[in-house]
Amino acid sequence: MSSLDRIWAIAAKDAAQELRRRVAAASIFFFAATAVTLVSFAVGPFGLPPEARDRVCGALLWIILFFSAATGLPRAFVREEETGTAYALRKVAPASLTLAGKTLFNYLLFLAIALVTVPALSILLEWRVGSAAGLAAVLALAGYGLAVVATFLAALVARASRTNVLFVVVSFPLLLPLLLSAIAATAEAAGGSFPSTALRVIVAYDGAATCAAYLLASAAWED
Amino acid sequence: MIEARDLAKAFAGPALFARLSFRADSGLVAVTGRNGSGKTTLLKILASLARPSAGSVSVRRGEQELSGDDRRMAVGWSGPDLAFYEDFSAVENLAFLSRAGGRPAVAAELARRLEEVGLAGAANRTVGAFSTGMRQRLRIAFSLLFDPPLLLLDEPMSNLDSEGRAIVEAAVEKQRRGGIVFVASNEPRDFAGPDQVVELGK
Repeated sequence: MSSLDRIWAIAAKDAAQELRRRVAAASIFFFAATAVTLVSFAVGPFGLPPEARDRVCGALLWIILFFSAATGLPRAFVREEETGTAYALRKVAPASLTLAGKTLFNYLLFLAIALVTVPALSILLEWRVGSAAGLAAVLALAGYGLAVVATFLAALVARASRTNVLFVVVSFPLLLPLLLSAIAATAEAAGGSFPSTALRVIVAYDGAATCAAYLLASAAWED
Repeated sequence: MIEARDLAKAFAGPALFARLSFRADSGLVAVTGRNGSGKTTLLKILASLARPSAGSVSVRRGEQELSGDDRRMAVGWSGPDLAFYEDFSAVENLAFLSRAGGRPAVAAELARRLEEVGLAGAANRTVGAFSTGMRQRLRIAFSLLFDPPLLLLDEPMSNLDSEGRAIVEAAVEKQRRGGIVFVASNEPRDFAGPDQVVELGK
């Protein structure tokens, strides 16, 4: 079997576990739904001046996506440690493939959250996105960066105590450049233009994050 | 062949063991020592699941030193810390671990593995519903999943009934004739007439 088959096997296993228990998905979607609902009631479609709407909605979207991700994405590694299955996984697969498989699962989970959050924000805050292709590209590329960094950090903190707090505290400064670029790109896409410049920055971030995660996978996941 | 050179392992406090060297080419190696002497840790180091504080371990096939996937597949391991996915059945666990290890999960092959450890009737039952003895049998099946030439069994008889003990004894004997098997235990009856003894905590 090729490395891609093995990566897919790990991602599919995580997905099957999630479908059976729905622990991460339930907490993520509950958080996202709560945040969107509260913001819509507090601000409402008319509480935002039209000229600020794209920027505020872009920031809101990424705040919700970041904290939703922080709620659920670390589970992929933490669960392996908590349940003792980490040894079985370490025995059969190298850290790089395990990290890639779990990143793939987390990426798909992130896209599922975005698929629910964006229409919800759009309806509740009457947010109209001018360039749907631009927003899709931002979500796809920045979501990948977020999934890579979140998965790597999850591997790093999985054996620590208070993993959730540690994860948020460590991930925030690392993800800040990505989130700022993603917010700017989202506002630009919402305004109707394709955010080429911001996307270049995001692609560079994705590349650097992928290289760092691959090189440090063994140190993070193995003893 | 497996060779350990000047192995040492220390957590917080005094070293569990230090300057430990041995080599095994074939047969049964018993790893003995009182509780806390480092038997489990030593087997994890040999299985590449833990790093030694000092020293090295090499696993060879002929003249070739194995690393990466080759080494992972060549060394089977079972220990008390090994757990499986509770929501998955026994056969689903072995199928996933086989695929993640780079081997296709062939249903007939997996069924045979489970039959060998007396779990044929529980193949489709979720591991969460397994007794401790059944979990131990599944650990043995996992350790043999890739037909490794080197088998590391940590307390392999724990929680097993007489039928389970007979299954493990047969697996150890078979491995002893065709490869290398390490058995770590406090119970001398867990390894009959070992070819070599590695004693810890002397």
